[in-house]
This record gives sequence, C-alpha cells and structure tokens, in this order.
Amino acid sequence: MKVGLYNYAVRAGLTRRGVLKGAASVGALSAMGGAANIAFTAPALAQDDLRAQILAIPGVGNGSPTDADYQKVGELCLGPTKANVAEGEFAGVELTFMGLNNQNLHNILFRGFLAPWEKYTGAKINWIDLAQADYNPRLQQAIATNTVDFDIVEMGAPFEGDTAGRGLLDEMPDWVKTQIQADDLVGYLQPPVGTWDGKSYRITIDGDCHTFSYRKDYFGEGSISGMKDAPTTWAQIAEYSKAVKGQKDPLTGNEAYGFLDPLKYQWGGFGFYFLGDRAAAYAKHPDDPAWLFDPDTMKPRVNNPAWVQAIQDVMDMVAAGVYPADQLNTDPNGTGFTQFLGGVGSSVCWWGDVGSNARTSDSSVVGDVVGFSINPGADKVYNSKTGAWEEKQNFAPNMAYLGWGIYVTSRVSGDEKKRKAAWSAAAHLGGKDISLWMAAYPSGFQPYRNSHFNYDEWAAAGYDKDFVADYLGSNADSYNHPNAAIEPRIPGIFQYYSVAEDELVKGINGQYGSAQETADAIAAAWEKITDQIGRENQVKLYKASLGL
Amino acid sequence: MSEGDRLHVVTADNISPARRMAGHLMIWGSLGVLALVALAQAAQTWGGSDFGFRNWRPTLYAYLLFSVCLCWAQVMLKGETGKRILFVLPAALFVVSLTVFPLLFGVLIALSDWNLSAPDGRKFNGMANIVQMWNDPFYWNALENMVWYCLAILPEYVLAFGLALMLNADIRARKFFRVAFLLPLMLSPVAVSWMIGKSMLVIQPAGPVIRLAKWLGYPNPSFFSDPLTAKITIMLMDAWTFVPFMMIMILAGLQAIPKELQEAARVDGATGWRAFWEVTFPLMLPVSITALLIRLIFKLKLADVIINVTSGGPGGATDSVTSFIFREYRDRSNVGYGTLLAMVYLVIIVLVMTVLMKFADKALRPRT
Repeated sequence: MKVGLYNYAVRAGLTRRGVLKGAASVGALSAMGGAANIAFTAPALAQDDLRAQILAIPGVGNGSPTDADYQKVGELCLGPTKANVAEGEFAGVELTFMGLNNQNLHNILFRGFLAPWEKYTGAKINWIDLAQADYNPRLQQAIATNTVDFDIVEMGAPFEGDTAGRGLLDEMPDWVKTQIQADDLVGYLQPPVGTWDGKSYRITIDGDCHTFSYRKDYFGEGSISGMKDAPTTWAQIAEYSKAVKGQKDPLTGNEAYGFLDPLKYQWGGFGFYFLGDRAAAYAKHPDDPAWLFDPDTMKPRVNNPAWVQAIQDVMDMVAAGVYPADQLNTDPNGTGFTQFLGGVGSSVCWWGDVGSNARTSDSSVVGDVVGFSINPGADKVYNSKTGAWEEKQNFAPNMAYLGWGIYVTSRVSGDEKKRKAAWSAAAHLGGKDISLWMAAYPSGFQPYRNSHFNYDEWAAAGYDKDFVADYLGSNADSYNHPNAAIEPRIPGIFQYYSVAEDELVKGINGQYGSAQETADAIAAAWEKITDQIGRENQVKLYKASLGL
Repeated sequence: MSEGDRLHVVTADNISPARRMAGHLMIWGSLGVLALVALAQAAQTWGGSDFGFRNWRPTLYAYLLFSVCLCWAQVMLKGETGKRILFVLPAALFVVSLTVFPLLFGVLIALSDWNLSAPDGRKFNGMANIVQMWNDPFYWNALENMVWYCLAILPEYVLAFGLALMLNADIRARKFFRVAFLLPLMLSPVAVSWMIGKSMLVIQPAGPVIRLAKWLGYPNPSFFSDPLTAKITIMLMDAWTFVPFMMIMILAGLQAIPKELQEAARVDGATGWRAFWEVTFPLMLPVSITALLIRLIFKLKLADVIINVTSGGPGGATDSVTSFIFREYRDRSNVGYGTLLAMVYLVIIVLVMTVLMKFADKALRPRT
C-alpha cells in the first residue's frame, strides 16, 4: 500500500471500535493457533486464518511496521516455499538482488521478508539498493554495456522490452506460476503483460493506473458547475471547466477552476501519461489493442485525429483561460499534490497517491469532498483500421505504468540450483498472502490481485470499509476494464514519452501552428527514435508486447 | 651528460649495452603486448573474432604493464637521469589515462549513433550527429539563451561592485551584512530552485511572492508562463546565488587597495565619483576581470536551477545548453548525440575563454 493511504486509514478511517473489532477477531483467530489447524481442515479456511494473522502484524493503527514485523510476515508466508524447496536446499548459493529503497520501502521490506527464506533455504542474498532517480540510468547502463551484475531485479514492466527483448531475463518455471497463483492477478496484469514472445518472465508485485479524482462540492443541485453529476466525458470536463470560470470555489472562497492538466508536461516521460489520459478515450478502440503505434510498421498514431483531438482539447482549454495563472509552468507533481489537494482546481487524473493523500496530507483541504471514478471517456472513438471516427461513447482507463515486478536475470540460467533459488526468492515476494500484507501496509505497492479487493477482509483488519470501497473501487474498475489502454513494453518507451513532452510543451506554448503540427512534430521525433533503436526489431517487440 | 649535471650525480652511471638492450626490450616488448591485446580486443569487438575476452580489462592491464615497464626502463636506460624522470613520468601517465583516453573515447562516442535502448549498441555514424546538431533549432535556441544568460553577468557585476563598495565602507552592522549577503552563495542551486523557484514563485496558492503580487494588485501573477519573464526570473535566481561570489572577490580586492592612494586622490581634489572612476576602478580591474571570468565559467554550467524549475520551458525559452544536453542524454538515453553536443560546447567554451583571457591579458598589461 502507498504510505499515504495507510496513514489515512489509520488517522481518519479507523475508529476505536473498528480497531477493537478487528483486533478481537484477529486475536481470536491467533489465539486458536494450533487448535485452529486441527479444527479447520479445509485449506481455504487455513489460508483465511493466515491472512487474518498476517494482517494483525503489527495491527492497523499500531504504528509503522518494523523489520521484525517484515520478518514475522515473511516467516508466516513461507508455506508455499516449503512445499517446493527442501530445508537447506540452497546452501552455498549467493544471489544479488537489485531494487529500490524509496521511502525506506521496497528493498528494505524485501530484506525482512527474505530473511526467514534465507534461513530456511540456506541461500544468501546480497543487495543493491538504488534511489528512484538512480534506478533507470543504472539499469539502462547495465543493459547497454552488458554489465548485468544482479540475479534478481525489481523492475517496471515498461523495461521488459529492453531486458526480455534482449534475452537478459530467465523464463519463469511452471512451478513458480503455480506457487504465486498468477491467475489471481487483475485483468490488465494478466498476459501479455509479464510475457515476451509467449514466455513468462515477471512476478507482479504492484499495479498502477490513473483514475479520475474530483471535488464533489462542484457538482449537484445548485452547484457552481450547474451539473448534477460529476463529468464522465472529456467534453463534459471542458464544459464544466468553462462554466466555473470566474466563480468562487465553494470550499476555499478563492477563484474556482475546473479540470487541471499539468501543462509543463516535462517529467522525464511520466508527464506524457496525462495527455494519454485524454487521448486514450479517443484513440483506444475496443477492437484494437494498439493505440500509440501501428503494430505492423511502428508508424506513430500520435498524429492521428484522435491524438490531435486530445491535444486540441488542451489547447482549447488554454485558449479559454480556464486554468490557474501559472499552469504553463506547473508539472504533474504540482498539479496533483499542491493544486488539487490545496483546493485549486476541482478535478485531476492521477495515480492512487492523490486519492489517499486527499485525506491524510496536512496540506490537503479537500479530504471531505473528494470522490473517485475511472478516467473520463469520449463521445466518439477513432478507428485506426478504418481511418474514421465512430460516434459512440468510449472509455479507456489509462494503465499508466504497469507497476513493479520481480524478474530473474539470465545470469542464473546456466546453474539450475542457483536458478531455482532465484525464482524461489522471487516467488516468495510475489506470493498471494504476502501480497495482501503489502497491499494493506506501507510498502510502496498498490493492490494488484482480485483477492485484494475483498473489502470485508480489509474491514476485519480495521480499515474504514466505505473509503476502501470508494477509492480502491475506482482502481479495481480501471484494472479490469475491458478496454483498458495498456502501454507498450518496448525498448526506449520513456524516450518516446520524454521527447513527446518536449514537443507538446512547445505546441501548447504556441511554437507550432496547431494541434496537428504539434502532433506531427511528436510523430517525427518518434520516427527518429524508432529508426535509431531499429524499426524492424521495434515492430517485432511491439507486437510481442501486445500479444499479437 | 652535461657538466652542470655532474655536480649532482652521486654515482657515475656506467650503463652496459646489455642493460640498455634490456631497457629497450622492456619498453618495446610491453608496448607490443599492449598493441597485441588491444588489437585482439578490437578484433573481437568489431571484427567478429573470438579471443574469449569478457571485457576491456585485459587492455587496461596491458596498459598498466606498459606503464610500469616504461618507468622501469627509464632507470635502466638512463640511470640517475632516469630516476629523475620517474618523479614526473607516473604522474604524466596517470593524467594521460584519466584525460586523454576518456577524451578520445568521448570523441568516438560523439561520432556514434548510440541510443542505450538500441539492441545493436553503438554504431559509428561519422558526421551525422554534427549535421543533426546543425539542423537542430533547439540546440541553437539553447546557445542563444546562453548568450543572454552570459550578458546578464554585466549587471550582476555592477550590482556586486556596488554591494562590495557598500560593505567596504564604514556602515553599521557591517559584519552582519557581509555574512548575510554571503548566505545565498552557501546554498546549493538545487536548494535555491526548490526554496525560491518552486516554493515562493510557483506553488499556488501558498507561494508568498505570488500572494504578495496579488496583494499588490496583480490578479494572476505568474513568473514562468511568459518566455521573457521566465528567462528573467531564472537570471534573477541565478544572480541571487552568485552575485555574492563576485561581491566577495571584489570586496577582497577593495580591501587590498592602499588607503594612501585614495587619500592622495582626495588631496588632489578628486570627488567621490572621480576617485572611484580614476583610482578605485582601474586598480580593481585585475580582480574584476578574474571575478568576471570565473563567474562566466559558472554561468556556462548553468543547469540545475533550470532543470528543477522550468525544465527549459516554456517552449525552450529558459533552456541552457547544459539543461538541453541533460534531457537529451538522460531522458532520451541518446548518448552519441548528447556527447557530441557536450563536445561542441566544450570547444566553444575553450575558444571563448581563450579569446577572453587574451583580451584580459591585454587589458591588464601596464600601459607605458
């Protein structure tokens, strides 16, 4: 779970009664201990017991978990490992694990979780901890200079093209798929994500998507927007943003603003997702998995009428003067955390953090009036195959970034014992039960399994069920949407995004004549990158990433 | 050996032909090993042969062997004089290893098509990157911005001189002001970006400068939306950080001027302005030029504030060459083109600094 969401649950959603109720149920289950094992013979019940037991460590509201807690959880979740690995089987094996240490999470948790695994199996793990800013260059350089010096790596799916596409990863053995219960993953994280050329490589430990966060006090009878319900399409977004211009914000009394686009998109490639939120609705046709490139030629679709419409929408909003004054220099971080949470503007598309921080951050003033839904849709969708617009409502939630996963590198492929050890360690981290704990406590990871959306389980652990259902529900709906817009896992994807951000900003600042010219400039830059990386190979990898 | 040298020679060097031969053998033998290993590695890398090398370390080890042999052979060949050479030669080899090799490697990369995501790795592409640079309006835009940023040094200098004069005068709380004016220099430009650029000038509704501007009657103040305003704001933030640097150098220069000169000027009837223009300013010229040149070097590296606050925007209006290269290299992993831009910028800097130093040298030479 993201830290903010946890803090919210602890501070706002957690009632004293809830804690006692949760603690009592968990305590009762724990107290049964060995007796429970005898009494509950059904495996499902035993698993429920385990899940409740780990959710009680350290207990929601009992402060942040410590290394001792991670180790306890790791120990309790060793069952699947023990079923596949004999005690001491990996004695003498040394593995190197590269991952992040953001917010003292990620690798810091993994160390604790894997300590009992090391004790049981006899293997030893050496750690490479990296800050987020250092991670991409380190990984990219290791790949480019052929100096992969790690056996297990925590990595985002967008890098699968750079790694799996070059044969740097080891294929997941079947026993791992069974151990981690991969069929429990939410819809969009199912293959082809995590696979390459039909082979599986990834143990998913995280999910990501953009959702629509909005201010409920801007909508309803007598509201300043004049709209009864929150907007569900980009046309309605434009309409209400214009309607509230010049009015006063019902909460802060300052100027009222509608939707917030981070007009300084430049954010190392991550800012392009925000144009993607708009474009997906127009460009992601339900019958076509591709929406950024033509899969047969890698010809960019970013300058087709759908993307141009998305850029035009933003330009129209700029021309209408509906954004706050310095929006042209406001990046995504400022838009989400400073403006929206600070009461400037009334809706935004973002990852889960904004939603959770709305009620936990000290600087947030919108906690009581925030609502969530999937990203807005459009009243028409462009069909790239026919080259024509289709007049029908289309929703395509943007699965911005595909979450973190654990991968095993091909360094271990030649040594069966080491290979099994590496996959066993990775599978331990991606197990179904340990993942629930990571979803429920600060870990840096969002829920990503269908089993994570059993709100009763959360409520029993002491969480506020209404909040969990509202906030996580929007994530679940996005994850499992049949027309989710999923990004291609091709080499250099963030180069495409980064150059697009630059061109987009130039267009919005009037350096190109129109939205079409801006889109053409992005397309030209993308063509150049494709040629530089190698078109033929990109076509092959793009198709593979789409499962075509 | 010359007559003069003999005075310092403790032992006479009677170098036998065999020892001389061994010395030559050491040099040429180790050089041969180095050449062979390097050629074999090159053949493996580019020629498709397989000698079982996993990395370039064997060439490095061969270079180290050659370096040791070269140093050793100096003594074998030249005796006492060789020992004297040993005081310098290792350092020279070290410098060559750390500057010349990387520079040559840098040139090779600059003439390559090397995108870190390209599965084929680096490909030599001759002059293609130079042609691309020539046709890249955004690189030229960044260079033009740099001209403006550098010109901003002149008003900074005037301001720094004024502040230095003030702090050199007998004013109240002089020590406090000296420390206070120095504080911005002690801050990292990244901290300035966040404290001033983001927190005070960008963030709404909390930014205090924005609030002040609103209170003063500007309805929608924004410092980075308009290209000119954004450029000036960046210049001001950079000046805020580095004016104290020039100020402290000038202040040190002012304090070194003998009081007698000022007094003599006053006795001769020079007014305040005249005394400054005819006496103080000319005397301060060497310090001023040094301060300006060092400031110019700092300015040419301007990147951190821009990267953090505007990312070069709006639309490239605030881009410096370094911030542009940063995006090209880091965000796009375009190593070849990024390196070429950096190399060209290095050449421009070297040329500009050489010309400026020549002028400075001329200006500072006493006129007789």
